[in-house]
Amino acid sequence: MIFIIDDDKIMAECIARACKPIKTQVFTNAIEAAAALNDTLPDLIFLDILLDGPNGFTFLNELVSYTDTAKIPIVIVSNLDFENQNLANYGVVGILDKNKMTPQEIKDYAEQFTQ
Amino acid sequence: MESEVNGILVAAHELKAPLGLMRQLTLSLELAPPAEQARIRRQMVDVSERALKQVNDLTKIARLEDGLFEMSPVSVRGVCDEVTRELQSLFMFNKRDLVIKYSNRERLVIANHDLLYSVIYNFCLNAVHYSGEQTESRLVIQDHQGKVRISVRDFGPALPTDVWRELKRGWINKPTSIAMRPGSSGLGLYIASKFSKYMNARVGATRHRDGTSFFIELPVSKQMSLFI
Repeated sequence: MIFIIDDDKIMAECIARACKPIKTQVFTNAIEAAAALNDTLPDLIFLDILLDGPNGFTFLNELVSYTDTAKIPIVIVSNLDFENQNLANYGVVGILDKNKMTPQEIKDYAEQFTQ
Repeated sequence: MESEVNGILVAAHELKAPLGLMRQLTLSLELAPPAEQARIRRQMVDVSERALKQVNDLTKIARLEDGLFEMSPVSVRGVCDEVTRELQSLFMFNKRDLVIKYSNRERLVIANHDLLYSVIYNFCLNAVHYSGEQTESRLVIQDHQGKVRISVRDFGPALPTDVWRELKRGWINKPTSIAMRPGSSGLGLYIASKFSKYMNARVGATRHRDGTSFFIELPVSKQMSLFI
């Protein structure tokens, strides 16, 4: 299972489409996603940073606060420039620029982190 | 000059999002099965229309200084009807509801049709963005202290106090790169503010516990009202 957190539903749908046939769940804000973690621990999370309500960094801080969620690999998907930023401590395994990424790159991450 | 550069940067950032989305949809279209292609094409049209509206508004701002927008009596209900007709499918697509309530006795205001349309359109678009799924937004027209007030109420995050204070003064100076509300550059509000000032109208906001109402107040067209 992969979680996709993006307040732009069309973008979230594009990511979900690229992950197929792997099962995905879309959230438009971090609060709903954090609540869903009580029921399911996903294999991977695609996370946008500029979200309505708590932003992506708040969500990352929340994840590293708990031993079980701290292990979930995160791929940041954003318009912001994260070049030369080391976010490995937050469990970030990859950064995709929304303006440059391709469906294949999304698929590669999805396949790499799901069984 | 500094605010101009800041405005350009914010505008560029706002336009980056739909362009990135269009690129992603185009790439998706190449790989999608035929059953999904119609939906992707529809999304491409929606995204590009939204971006075009933004570009149109930005070019209008540049033309404001030339005074090219004629002010005339405008049917306020007519403009609201046009906006809601256009945004109906967007509200439906995002599983949101738009409730319309017209209680104004004064039907005509002094405004420029296109600018007023853009202001209401921006307010409604803002409501789509900030309201949760299965919630409603409210478009209300009412008489207010000798003017006509058009307000759009959403059920999203509260407006930050500093932005609210700025709006209380009647208009805002510039779009700000510090998010006015999460995920927003405030460009829509800036555009609404600029257009309102040109029309001698006032924009403002009312903060609610569970959302915000943005409004514009316009002067009534007294003379033309006599003929109705």
